[in-house]
Amino acid sequence: MASFTASSVSFSAVSCSFKQNKVSSLGKASLSFSGNGSPSRRLPALRFRVSCAAKPETVNKVVDIVRKQLALPADRDVSGESKFATLGADSLDTVEIVMGLEEEFGISVEEESAQSITTVQDAADLIEKLLEKK
Amino acid sequence: MALNMNAINFQSPKCPSFALPPIASHRSPKFFMASTLRSGSNEVETVKKPFSPPREVHVQVTHSMPPQKIEIFKAMEDWAENNILVHLKPVEKCWQPQDFLPDPASDGFHDQVKELRERAKEIPDDYFVVLVGDMITEEALPTYQTMLNTLDGVRDETGASPTSWAVWTRAWTAEENRHGDLLNKYLYLCGRVDMRQIEKTIQYLIGSGMDPKSENSPYLGFIYTSFQERATFISHGNTARHAREHGDLKLAQICGTIASDEKRHETAYTKIVEKLFEIDPDGTVLAFADMMRKKISMPAHLMYDGRDDNLFDHFSAVAQRLGVYTARDYADILEHLVGRWKVENLTGLSADGQKAQDYVCGLPPRIRRLEERAQGRAKQAPRIPFSWIYDREVLL
Repeated sequence: MASFTASSVSFSAVSCSFKQNKVSSLGKASLSFSGNGSPSRRLPALRFRVSCAAKPETVNKVVDIVRKQLALPADRDVSGESKFATLGADSLDTVEIVMGLEEEFGISVEEESAQSITTVQDAADLIEKLLEKK
Repeated sequence: MALNMNAINFQSPKCPSFALPPIASHRSPKFFMASTLRSGSNEVETVKKPFSPPREVHVQVTHSMPPQKIEIFKAMEDWAENNILVHLKPVEKCWQPQDFLPDPASDGFHDQVKELRERAKEIPDDYFVVLVGDMITEEALPTYQTMLNTLDGVRDETGASPTSWAVWTRAWTAEENRHGDLLNKYLYLCGRVDMRQIEKTIQYLIGSGMDPKSENSPYLGFIYTSFQERATFISHGNTARHAREHGDLKLAQICGTIASDEKRHETAYTKIVEKLFEIDPDGTVLAFADMMRKKISMPAHLMYDGRDDNLFDHFSAVAQRLGVYTARDYADILEHLVGRWKVENLTGLSADGQKAQDYVCGLPPRIRRLEERAQGRAKQAPRIPFSWIYDREVLL
């Protein structure tokens, strides 16, 4: 399992407007890429985004939910960049994915926010934003 | 065909993702909302023209049924004569609007009108919003006759074609025509509504038309009409019940009579589709899944009154709140049709057919779950003025 180095953590902490306590919790939280060890899983590319990039675990959970909802074969690659539409999700699937995310993370997604989700990464980022607010 | 729906729009959203209209306070599941272009929507960089009604934005597909299948419908003409036309009522036995309205030739006419208006005073504005939307939908009948005549294999080629299908379509239209007439006269007399605004809305709506995405296929078309007839039966049944609750038994009778017509029409259309499932189960189940994926769009979803760019959404929200026609009804109708056509028991389907079968059979609970979630999160709804009632406000 790969793990993020401290320097990349602090970089991402700086680029996101995380509060102090969040940064420290990031430090405490497992920074390792705690996937299921599935061979199809790969590290999401570290991006120099202006917006906050979600933790890999979050992305993974989103990927799991998406896989389940769309009944995707194991050899079908799903990552942060994957677009729901390209994976074969229709509007009903997308709503159900959002519902699944709400249940999994104990959050409530506003309809306006849900509208902007087109990729797995979008979903993961939104989840983290909502978790941060809690 | 009961395309006279005063209900929620269940159309596919504009984008494949979870697309919602900007107003987010309805109780209905938003993803069902219209894929229509409102002038001034941020999809298109145009200056909003005044008084421009919404229009369909999806690509309009035509003739998706393979032409060799037209033969099926030609071969069905005798069967249709014996099994479908029997659901028409002979004109001499039919009710007419005059049966339910004050009699202008009678001395008691003025008193009858007075009584009608007295009863109507007791009925709240939100009910009238729904009844008016209903009436406007009925009055857009030219659109529905047109739609039936777009269907390959069953269209009325001349306007007086002797084929069973054409006879059905004309007679169906004639029966439906009474619905709009009756509701129009009632609303005119009741004094509770702005007839001019309503008339304007009707003119816009007929001008807008609608594309139910039946793509000239009678498979898709008759599945659509089966759904709609049942929907309208439910809806008119509910307005009848509400009228009774508000103490207007005559209005209840009006709505109830219209509802019974719709029930008869539902019987006819579902019988056609049942026969299609017999003749071509794979093709029909694929058509059923296709229509449900595209979502059953409501006939009046392009309604516009020259003032409200979201008129249909507002009207549907009231219909949902009053329980006249709801997202739950949509799921119930679908479930009913799945049962009626015994979709679960279909055998000998292709791989795609089986996927379609699974999709359709699994869809009602998914819709219900969605609806429960939407209900659970319903926010405080706004009050919106409706030009149909002189801009008086009604809670969405």
